[in-house]
Amino acid sequence: MREISYAQAINEALRENMRRNSRIILMGEDIGRYGGIFQVTAGLLDEFGPERVIDTPISESGFVGTCVGAAMTGLHPVAEVMFIDFTTCAMDMIVNQMAKMHYMSGGRGKVPFVLRTNIGAGRGAAAQHSQSFHSFFMHIPGLKVATPATPYDAKGLMNTALADENPVMFIEHKKLFITKGHVPEEAYAIPFGKADIKREGTDITIVATHALVQKSLNVAEEMSREGVEIEVLDPRTITPLDKEAILNSVKKTGKLITADEGCLTGGFGSEVAAIVAQEAFDYLEAPIMRVGSPDTPVPFSPPLEQFYIPDEGSIKDAVSRILAYQ
Amino acid sequence: MATEVVIPMLGITVERGKILKWFKSEGDRVEKGESIFEVEAEKVTTEVESPASGILKKILVHENIEVPVLTLVGVITSEGEEIPEKYLTIAPPKEETPTTMVPAASPEVSQRMASETSGQIRVVPAARKAARESGIDLSSISGSGPGGTILKKDVENSIALLRREGVALKGKETRATPLAKRLAEKQGILLDMVKGTGPGGRVTKMDVVKALEIRKAPTPAEAPAEMLFGKTIPMSRMRKVIARRMSQSAFTAPHISFFSDVDMGKLVQVRKEILADFEDQFGVRISINDFIIKAVGLTIREYPMLNASVDGENIRINPEINVGLAVAMDEGLIVPAIPHADRLGLGDIATMRVDLVERARKGKLTMEEIERGTFTVSSLAQFDITFFTAILNPPQCGILTVGKMDEKLSLVNGKVKARQVTQCGLSVDHRIIDGAVASAFLQALKKELENPSDEFLQL
Repeated sequence: MREISYAQAINEALRENMRRNSRIILMGEDIGRYGGIFQVTAGLLDEFGPERVIDTPISESGFVGTCVGAAMTGLHPVAEVMFIDFTTCAMDMIVNQMAKMHYMSGGRGKVPFVLRTNIGAGRGAAAQHSQSFHSFFMHIPGLKVATPATPYDAKGLMNTALADENPVMFIEHKKLFITKGHVPEEAYAIPFGKADIKREGTDITIVATHALVQKSLNVAEEMSREGVEIEVLDPRTITPLDKEAILNSVKKTGKLITADEGCLTGGFGSEVAAIVAQEAFDYLEAPIMRVGSPDTPVPFSPPLEQFYIPDEGSIKDAVSRILAYQ
Repeated sequence: MATEVVIPMLGITVERGKILKWFKSEGDRVEKGESIFEVEAEKVTTEVESPASGILKKILVHENIEVPVLTLVGVITSEGEEIPEKYLTIAPPKEETPTTMVPAASPEVSQRMASETSGQIRVVPAARKAARESGIDLSSISGSGPGGTILKKDVENSIALLRREGVALKGKETRATPLAKRLAEKQGILLDMVKGTGPGGRVTKMDVVKALEIRKAPTPAEAPAEMLFGKTIPMSRMRKVIARRMSQSAFTAPHISFFSDVDMGKLVQVRKEILADFEDQFGVRISINDFIIKAVGLTIREYPMLNASVDGENIRINPEINVGLAVAMDEGLIVPAIPHADRLGLGDIATMRVDLVERARKGKLTMEEIERGTFTVSSLAQFDITFFTAILNPPQCGILTVGKMDEKLSLVNGKVKARQVTQCGLSVDHRIIDGAVASAFLQALKKELENPSDEFLQL
């Protein structure tokens, strides 16, 4: 099978859907002529023209709001917000409009809208361009939140997002755009709310998202040589969340680590830990450990930034603490 | 100079003890020799004396936590002396520091470790569930996790061990709705005893409510249990110990039993003759049991194997002949032992027997008095029981059973004679005692009892 990058996989999904569905339009800053800051929309302006691939002014509230309106009146827009940090400018549009319209219209109004954005530190982009607060959106009823970790998942999840009649926050990861992986040329869809066991194991469950999926897999391989078999589970969408898969895995291993790049406090890992503590309490053989970013802004200093980003070392630290209960 | 206070060795087979009460609080003055705490092990509570005079500076193991004997439970310092640093950071009882892969403890972890020294039992949820399902008492398990935390595997090991010892454990958890489980737990109802009418035979809340109505909601407390039909009664601590020890004995020691008629005529006569004198001299009424204890002691002298116990792949022949007498009580059975039964005179045996039986009934025996037994006598002579077998009192290898004394017709040299006959039974551990040895012992004992004058040469 051919290998393409994560950015190319999303590009391919957008292109194929735009060819089939003329309602799909793209909006965002520098997505047309420049091809998007991470080249996810590269070449789409050439193929679909400026009516469907629209470079907007620097006004997240403006173009996100425009997309909500367009979605309600018949189009299926895909917006790119350059960094998740900038969604804050459009928070009223996202939280109060996009997420609410379907509900407030008694189910008659639909908002078929995919908002693409990305998280992740590690590109020296400092505190206002490196955040990972995707779990914000888990907290808002009415939003689905997809978090692809591989090129394969990115294409499959985008296909599902574009078949959805209601809003999807499609949260990519900056450091993953250039990673490559097997992606089938034909169209395929990955259902939302269906976790993927990236590696089976019997001793510890790691529920990981985004870049921490691969890092967890690296640790799992390393620990396997020491006789510890780690199961790595990627929920792929954090809303809806595949609770059943998580609970089943923890019931099997009795031990849970969450690995997510968001700040620890009030984050995705906290939610998973709470679910497991509530619904699989009797199966826990060790305290739940969370791996994530410290509760501070992302530092600009490159050495500090590297220290800040949760990595294999942070996961191994959590593993070793859990192994004390082995 | 700080003095360490430990749980003393409470007997050869006692491994763990639980402090029921500290008589002193941290900071109190203590005198050497005064009672400092009360400890419970197996069936007995004992007061432990302070090993030094000074200030009880620190209590390391609080009340109601079971720990191995010799565990450091407190520190006594002299007046004005600061407690040595090492006791402040001391590991909690039975801690096994995880050695693999653990990085230097973070502040968070150190803080946690520090709080663990306060002594509460820590159990991971999965271990708690396993214990609940098998009906195992968590306080009887020592944890191998950080800070002595009880892990799932600790419970599983304990279950495996008990199964090997033949102890019957509860099976898999009965299927029940969460509401039913909660209610049952709150009301102290055993779900196994409730018939489920829900989907797939699940016990529902209504089932539990019905069961409660029938049973009038028994409380799970250890209050003396009323024997009501249909009622489930939790085992008392003593009953649990008896259950465990009897199962362990019955399923590890292959028992064989032998019976013999003993003509008690002469012995009864002798007793009658000396009864009054004895009472004057010793202030106690001598009983047939006292003679039997003495006779057993003397006979064991000639058959040291009957004083032995199995110790792994070794046979340990115990140095002292200490004969225990089973004492029945409402709550169960306890076996205090007369030390050196072969060497003590009948008067001493009788005096001691009266005292031990009385204190047994009051629950005031010391661990030593129970633990020292090397052979047991169990008599049901006051019942209309002809003969019976008994389960060995582990780790002992012999137990003598005594049935009622009965007047029987016998043919002696062709003449019909009435005799006072008691059937004595001997059960032994066949791992180390064969039929011939057991028979020879029983025969020798019979001879001793039938010819009491020999026995009382050593009055």
